[in-house]
Amino acid sequence: MDANTLIFGSIAVISLAMFFYLGKYRASAKQRERDDRIDWSARRFSLWKIFLYCLVLVGGIVLITQFI
Amino acid sequence: MCQENTGKSTHQASGTKDGERSNGLGAHFYYFCLYLVNHLHRETEVMSNHKALEMFGRSGNPTLNAQTFANSSQVSAPSGIQAVASQTMTLEGTVNKTGILLALVVLSASWTWRMFFETGDPSAVMPIAFGGAIVGFILALVTLFKKHWSGTTAPIYAVAEGLFLGAISGIFEMQYPGIVIQAVALTLGTLASLLFLYKTGIIKPTENFRLMIVSATMGIGLLYLVSILMTMFGAGGIGFIHSNGLFGIGFSLFVVAIAALNLVLDFDFIEQGSEMGAPKYMEWFGAFSLMVTLIWLYLEILRLLAKLRSR
Repeated sequence: MDANTLIFGSIAVISLAMFFYLGKYRASAKQRERDDRIDWSARRFSLWKIFLYCLVLVGGIVLITQFI
Repeated sequence: MCQENTGKSTHQASGTKDGERSNGLGAHFYYFCLYLVNHLHRETEVMSNHKALEMFGRSGNPTLNAQTFANSSQVSAPSGIQAVASQTMTLEGTVNKTGILLALVVLSASWTWRMFFETGDPSAVMPIAFGGAIVGFILALVTLFKKHWSGTTAPIYAVAEGLFLGAISGIFEMQYPGIVIQAVALTLGTLASLLFLYKTGIIKPTENFRLMIVSATMGIGLLYLVSILMTMFGAGGIGFIHSNGLFGIGFSLFVVAIAALNLVLDFDFIEQGSEMGAPKYMEWFGAFSLMVTLIWLYLEILRLLAKLRSR
């Protein structure tokens, strides 16, 4: 087993263990008890607004590529 | 076929043909579509439930609606806690089911991976890989629209996607030895790190956060789509998406960051679902959502590493 496999394999195993351990616990009160949480039962923004933001992003990237 | 997939694995970093560029983007665009439909459908279904609730006073789908809150109140009742809790979504159940899906992906991926390295010929595994991708896509759509089937469709989806990922990963590995274990480690490392940041409240997803992430994800998808269409019509695609230059790597880093931040939205969705006492089958749906994002993140990290290695 080479060093690459050993190092990255260990990272993968440790991360997986961390995911299974942490995943079973509830998030902290700081995370759960706030007023600005996402309300998954409603959509606050319309698809048009999302589409507009998306176009701004694409336009921005295209402009940057023109100047670099 | 061999050339096409080599193009996919190197992601045109060394300047492959336009046709190969289109194929290279295919996997990424495919996963992007899957993710976006998944993400948007979470909301639209809930929205339509609320309209139905207003009109008819009850909802046909108990995901996150009045019935969900009724379940929550039952859980907090002193009697029958165990019985009701066993019927509602829990964090532990979702994590366990994510583990099952991950194991299924790895098992089926190892089959196409081994087949690829035994034959050394991509054309031997590509029919299985594409078959897996198509079956996975159909099953994903079925899961999104029939969430209560998740217990059956999500594991089959994981097996089908594993076949696809095994072949793609094998092709990358042949081109750049050691790249797959690096991509797997970085993907899982990102998952664990973001889960830690979410659980401790360091990252706090808000409505504006969701708007930005969904918009950026759609923007990336739009760029991929335009690039594929340009290639199809002989215009050569969008160069920087494939380039291994500074801008190309910067773009890949941006895409990886957006894919990673999508995980935070998944964590929040799962956390709220378990808090509100969503139905048990939502554990499978939550695990499925996490898998879709994880596979997209893995593919983008693989692409980024290939660009870096080709320099």
